[in-house]
Amino acid sequence: MEELILNLKKQIIEVLNLEEIKPEDIDENAPLFGEGLALDSIDALELIVLMEKNYGIKIKDPNEGKEIFKSVRVMAEYIEQHRTK
Amino acid sequence: MINNWVRIKSGYGPSVEEIYKDRIGSYAKFYKMDPLSRLGFVASELLLDAEGSRDREWGETRGVVLMNATSSLADDRNYQRTIVGDDAFPSPSLFVYTLPNVVTGEIAIRNRYYGETNFFVLPGADPEQMSKVIEMSFCDDKLQSLLTGWIDCEDEEHYDALMFIANRTVCGRRAELAEEIAALFEKEIKY
Repeated sequence: MEELILNLKKQIIEVLNLEEIKPEDIDENAPLFGEGLALDSIDALELIVLMEKNYGIKIKDPNEGKEIFKSVRVMAEYIEQHRTK
Repeated sequence: MINNWVRIKSGYGPSVEEIYKDRIGSYAKFYKMDPLSRLGFVASELLLDAEGSRDREWGETRGVVLMNATSSLADDRNYQRTIVGDDAFPSPSLFVYTLPNVVTGEIAIRNRYYGETNFFVLPGADPEQMSKVIEMSFCDDKLQSLLTGWIDCEDEEHYDALMFIANRTVCGRRAELAEEIAALFEKEIKY
């Protein structure tokens, strides 16, 4: 799980162009939206693409996305349970 | 007529990112922008620093009207790379920048300018045509000043920005304005 969290942080930094942020700067338990990294709606779409591209997970229901993207740790737990690649 | 202006051009001086780090910094959204918006953002920040009007609430009295020849080509190319091939994954964050006028919005939102915002794609950097566009923008009676100019970004290594503040005094003096713009294009860089 910890390795997956680290990889996920690196992937998030890359796809969201968080140039001045390092993996250790991201609290895996902190909210991704509203506070924490202060991501926006376009970032949410990028995270949906990341889930499908890297882990074969398709998120179709926006409400489901809200739950999955609560924090990096919640994302990682969801990936571990649902990944197809 | 033009007192405050900025010129940033590829091949002269530091890159847009280097200028950002050296002179601006602390605006995380910068790294999410496409090359055209980065160029426009940096040019506008330096221009407004030079003008010294940061604290003023301009509201509807200031607009943003920019012009170029290559539209959003840099971002169009980057986005195209994400939609080609069987395993393509279109990038939403690249897609939102496939319109050149996004840069006017970035600047207007950042500075709370609620006046005219427009982006014109012209055949080339023609001072006479630019002066017509600028004068026409002042048909909006509320508008007192414009953050305007040329902002062209073919790719991250080929760009040219000449941004300046024009105020209502340009109305009826189009030829004079065109001469001033032409003179500024003769200069290399200033920021």
